[in-house]
Amino acid sequence: MVHKNIICPVCGGSCDDVQIDLDTKNRTIDVQNACKMGNAKFQEVVSNHRLLKPTIRENGKVKEVSWDEALEMAADILVNARRPFFFLGSETSCEAQEVGLHIAEYLGGPADSNATICHGPTVMGIQESGMVGATAGQAKNRADMVVYWGVNALESMPRHMSKYGVFPRGYWTKRGRFDRTMVTVDPRVTPTAIASDLHLQLNPNSDYELLSALFTILNGREPHPSVEEITGIPISVMKQTVEMMKESNYVAIYVGLGVSSSYGKHRNIEIALNLVKELNNYTKCNIGALRGHCNVAGFNQLASYLYGYPFGLDFMKGYPRYNPGETTCVDLLREKDVDAAFVMSADLVNHIPADSAKYLAEIPMVCIDIAPCPTTTASDVVLPGVIDAMECDGTFYRLDNVPVYFEPFTDSPFPETKSNEDTLKQLFAKIKARKEA
Amino acid sequence: MQALLNTGSTIDEGRLAKGGNKYSDEYTKECAVCWMCAEDFTSLGCPEKVSVTSRDGKHTIAVYSKVTEAMKSGQVFIPRSIWANIVVEPDTFSTGSPRYKGSPVFVEPTNEEVLSAEEVVLKLYMGGE
Ligand code: SF4
Repeated sequence: MVHKNIICPVCGGSCDDVQIDLDTKNRTIDVQNACKMGNAKFQEVVSNHRLLKPTIRENGKVKEVSWDEALEMAADILVNARRPFFFLGSETSCEAQEVGLHIAEYLGGPADSNATICHGPTVMGIQESGMVGATAGQAKNRADMVVYWGVNALESMPRHMSKYGVFPRGYWTKRGRFDRTMVTVDPRVTPTAIASDLHLQLNPNSDYELLSALFTILNGREPHPSVEEITGIPISVMKQTVEMMKESNYVAIYVGLGVSSSYGKHRNIEIALNLVKELNNYTKCNIGALRGHCNVAGFNQLASYLYGYPFGLDFMKGYPRYNPGETTCVDLLREKDVDAAFVMSADLVNHIPADSAKYLAEIPMVCIDIAPCPTTTASDVVLPGVIDAMECDGTFYRLDNVPVYFEPFTDSPFPETKSNEDTLKQLFAKIKARKEA
Repeated sequence: MQALLNTGSTIDEGRLAKGGNKYSDEYTKECAVCWMCAEDFTSLGCPEKVSVTSRDGKHTIAVYSKVTEAMKSGQVFIPRSIWANIVVEPDTFSTGSPRYKGSPVFVEPTNEEVLSAEEVVLKLYMGGE
């Protein structure tokens, strides 16, 4: 049966035009409009490596158990820990993340999400200087200059350029790509850089210096000549870039981990945001982050709305605290500051540095996932995941922080649970029963 | 050779990771790879495999080498994956985000076997369980 306008649950693009044809008899799925990455995830609905049975590790051996046994053991691990850590990954709905946050509050542990190892510094930069933002539609209709800074959009959000950024015809950009100038700032010659009109191939870790120089030029001053050697970009090219920006009607800047993960971190973002504010004295300009994981923006929204902080929350004192570098995932694990972990819909072991990952593999860990991966290998309890936007409904926040409600086209393959939210609610009930016994 | 490590997505890394194929050979061939420019590759003696070591010398991982015009001399790239994260600096400068981009590393030729993602977890993280 053909289903239209399905939301893709893979990256922050949350493409809402996917068409699928699911043949349950022959276990095949035909996917239209999604990119390679999106298509791969839709194939998970019928894949033969899908995790379908809960497992636990006992005396070093992994064995299949019933849902109830797995949930019991998960509850035991989390209740018996002195400081259980909750990593509420982004490849699931806000509804599931909300239950996870409440469990963390109830047990007094820290809670974090992919934001911390993704655009956490971007969020911190926004806290420092505020952000001139816009929805993806605004940028699509208005932007005649697009800057990808520290992001390889073609490979990290493959449809961004075709759906929102560069190619689509907008109200004031009727000729699509021909009405837009595209600039990429990246130390590597990426496919995105190749597709650009101008590529600023800066030296690694020199984003702050380049942004400062652009700021100086925008203010009518001459940057210090040493900036050419530090950034690897001639001052004449910097001047040309600033001129192009000033002459455009609307500049849309998209930042990626190249800015927020390099040396300088949130300070890079802070100065980029200040540059954007200043540019608005000459033209219209907005900035946005290309968020790699599907609902990573959702966790920031939800945690801020419920507890006042966007990520790295710690409920140890009975009220939420937020101190990046202390209450954030990589730091908590590196400093061995937690003694059990719950990881939902994120392959955390794969994505964090060795010191933190090794400790995570040592402590008791419960995870929810859909396919075998380093996190499931290192876990003591593995609960099979339900795929959001395919097998259950819920809410994601898109890269521009617009909430998107999604509906499923098939059912959860498990009679025991309807969604990850449902699994977490069952786990929470067991945790409460233990605590209140 | 000392170099600055950059990590990030590639389209096939994304396709294989999102498709649940992290334990496939294809994923290892796509992600356990150190990209470098021809000049650096030649100076290392054109090795088929290289070992990449973190600045503090604590962590080393063997990966395949790949020559590409995408890189400048003194810079290497490993697609974001468990192999890259072995040598990414865990310091977050009080932001929570480690240095996925711009960690200094040492790159040398090696004959060591390139481990699969599962072997990395089992041997390096779980002490050979
Ligand atoms: S760009 Fe992102 S949201 Fe759109 S189809 Fe590809 S993976 Fe899915």
